[in-house]
Amino acid sequence: MSLFKGQLTYARYFVDPDESEPLESGFAERFLETLAARPFVPLDPEEDVRERVGWCRVGEPFETSFGHGDLFWNGHLVLGFRVDRWVVPSSLVKAKTRQAEASYLAKKGRERASKKEKAELKELVTRKLRRQLAPSTRSVDLALSLDDGIARFFSHSAALGGAMCELFRSTFGLRLVPEAPYTTAARIGLDALVGTKRGDALWDALEPTDLTNANALGSRGGR
Amino acid sequence: MQLAERIEKRRFVGREFLLWLWFEGELFDETLFVAPHGKFGLAIEKELLLSNGKEATRIVGRAPARAREAKDALALGKLPERAGLRLVLGEREATFVLKAEALGLAGLALPTILTEADAVRPGELGATTAPRRGRRRTTVEEDAEREADARAEVFGDRIDRAGEVEAHLEALYRDFLRLRLTRAWDELVVPAMRRWSSDEAVDAERYREARKRALAGTTSKAPRRKGTEPSKPTKRPRR
Repeated sequence: MSLFKGQLTYARYFVDPDESEPLESGFAERFLETLAARPFVPLDPEEDVRERVGWCRVGEPFETSFGHGDLFWNGHLVLGFRVDRWVVPSSLVKAKTRQAEASYLAKKGRERASKKEKAELKELVTRKLRRQLAPSTRSVDLALSLDDGIARFFSHSAALGGAMCELFRSTFGLRLVPEAPYTTAARIGLDALVGTKRGDALWDALEPTDLTNANALGSRGGR
Repeated sequence: MQLAERIEKRRFVGREFLLWLWFEGELFDETLFVAPHGKFGLAIEKELLLSNGKEATRIVGRAPARAREAKDALALGKLPERAGLRLVLGEREATFVLKAEALGLAGLALPTILTEADAVRPGELGATTAPRRGRRRTTVEEDAEREADARAEVFGDRIDRAGEVEAHLEALYRDFLRLRLTRAWDELVVPAMRRWSSDEAVDAERYREARKRALAGTTSKAPRRKGTEPSKPTKRPRR
């Protein structure tokens, strides 16, 4: 599922021209400067952060600096959307927390720990385990056509797509909307399709088609 | 209606698009036509998933749309949620899964001439970086540059071929919308689909002509005329 090999699985997003900064001349330099100013910051075990997202070179999750040739190919802006996440097995956290709780209670000469103490112990154990592990890293390819404003994101996960759109907007000032029957219709141009200025009204009036009930058509917008 | 509502509350339009592709594909013997690209083949294969929010019917096989359960599921009010499709563009074929509610593509095997499927394509990774005998040994920097060039070339080629598939789907979606948003949907398409879904005969040629007129804008402007509905039983759907 990548840009370079095998079958392609991707979701399309469209740059929303109404809520995006226009791509004026010099945007390439601006993008490079923006990325240089916002480098990916790896997760730190001492932070209270479970996950971090950022940009990397496409297909190279550990390369987080960019030159012009890394970013612009064949009229596209290409990037990797990197997601780092702490993945500590919950069974391990539970076992280690139980151990820590037992030794804590023995030290204090008590039989039970409070809820707050248990939470603190769990937090300590989790941080200790994180120091012994490396976070899991994945990157998802993204290619934005600079000609037609179509972005292809190589994942169908709505959560990943949402996080990518948020980061994309805050980085480049461009709002991406996910492909859906409506957004594709709007991009094609609803008004032009139906030859009136009521394209959106016709869309809003649509009702599901029922093939099972011969008496109920009631499905069109009509014009 | 806000943008989010227009997206979320009308996702069923994607299912209806897939239903329409299925209907027209079957009616026109899996040969469709769109103005910008001409004739091409489109068939449902490998998988068809229909659902109605409560229940789902998943049919797998070489021609799942022709299975008895497929039309039975339609009779129960289920609509296609996703389907495996084969797009035939002359000698080249592409296969993919269309997820109707998002119009998303999955498992897209790019248009390829089948007999050349195993051949190394120009710019394929690994095909251009190996130094030839007798040539000057390349530096690490030169190798990296060549590798980057090869990747960019592969990217360009793959994105172009994906774009070709998208362009055909978009042209179909454009025609679908022009029918769906006008009277042609209720007056022409839905009655024909009802007959087709209940295994009654549909006159493919009359439907084609009426559809052509509708796309040209005549149906929406003129009052309904006799003959816009495909009623003459000349063709039985294959089962």
